[in-house]
Amino acid sequence: MLAFVRRNQVLLASFLCVLFSLLILSAAARGRLQRDPIGPLLLELMRPLQIGAQATVAKLKEIQHRYGTFRGLASENDRLKGRITELEAERNRLLEVEATNRRFRELLELRSQLPSGSLTATVISNSASTWFRSFVLDKGSADGVLQGMAVVSPVGVAGQVVAVTSRSAKVLLVTDPHSGVDVIVQRSRARGIVSGSLEGAPIMKYVKRSEDIQEGDRLITSGLDGTFPKGLLVGTVAKVRKKSFGLFQYVEVSLAVDPSRIEEVLVVSAETPSQ
Amino acid sequence: MLFLLAGFLVVLLQTTFLHLLPLGPIVPDLILVLCVYWGLNHPTVGAVLGSFLLGYSVDVFSSPVLGLNAFAMSLVFLAVYLSSRCIWIHNPLLSAAVVFCASWVKGIALILVGTLFLAVDGLWMGVLKYIFLEALVAAMLAPAVFSLLRHGQRYLEEARMPF
Repeated sequence: MLAFVRRNQVLLASFLCVLFSLLILSAAARGRLQRDPIGPLLLELMRPLQIGAQATVAKLKEIQHRYGTFRGLASENDRLKGRITELEAERNRLLEVEATNRRFRELLELRSQLPSGSLTATVISNSASTWFRSFVLDKGSADGVLQGMAVVSPVGVAGQVVAVTSRSAKVLLVTDPHSGVDVIVQRSRARGIVSGSLEGAPIMKYVKRSEDIQEGDRLITSGLDGTFPKGLLVGTVAKVRKKSFGLFQYVEVSLAVDPSRIEEVLVVSAETPSQ
Repeated sequence: MLFLLAGFLVVLLQTTFLHLLPLGPIVPDLILVLCVYWGLNHPTVGAVLGSFLLGYSVDVFSSPVLGLNAFAMSLVFLAVYLSSRCIWIHNPLLSAAVVFCASWVKGIALILVGTLFLAVDGLWMGVLKYIFLEALVAAMLAPAVFSLLRHGQRYLEEARMPF
């Protein structure tokens, strides 16, 4: 018997423990376990250790929390930076849309003042040469653009169509030396031709010595060249010089339009005479 | 001596530091791993008592009723002890598998005695997922804990401490 117990002591002890724990459980579940001798002892024994460990845990939790917060802030920062970039792009897009809208509105206003048959076009490329001042429009003969048509912007005259394909048109700008716009001085009605210059500002040619012309005078299209409708602003007189000899005055013009900044234009029918 | 030391340490760890791990409601059951280790490698009466006391300490610290975990841990030890007679190979994968099964034994034992003594209905429903997760975590930890315990034991034996 003793030998059996000794041989199977682990098994028997295990069974006893299982049974004993079931007894404890049964008693505890029915509320019959009045005193627990081991529990308070265990709690007392572990208490100082747990207090120390818990303090360390609290520190570690704080570090963990700070690290988490830091990581959260870093990712939040990245997210917000991305958002700022997105909003900046959106803002730029909206500003661009607004600017385009404004330009189109101005073009529409101008269009209503111009003869019927004018159409809106967008600049798709600029001159590839230093020697020539021109740009290309996205409209061509298929859209009704013809060679010789006037090209104007809401601010003033831009140039003239010199070549047309079915889907594009080349415009010679008023700043090109080969261009010419028949103009009159708004105040004194003196006539002349505004033409571009490679050296500097455009000049107003063929202004007689006797004509009354002053700096700051507004120059408008005369409508006599059969290309530009009458009354469109071309620019203002920047400088006037009367030489002691010759038939004409030297007049420098400050153009109303900066061709390099034009994006949308109106192409005005050349066949429509001045108003 | 090692039993006492390991038991204290494991209870301390399980009631404090292991809650820091980002495992949600799952707390790695090192007590179970220790019981399995004892059942596999040191089947002695001391280990039986150790398992019972470890379960009892869990009851003292966590359980609403005394005896629940004491019963479960004693049963786990018994099950592992009985199965250890059929286990001839000891490697990390096997220890993980035994711990995984032991965790299920513990979980099912808790459900059964809970239903029987505490009249808690429907314990099966939500708790199976947690038993599985707990078993998985315990199984993953088992090889490392086993190795640590073996090293500790060897160190103590070399220092000629009574075991």
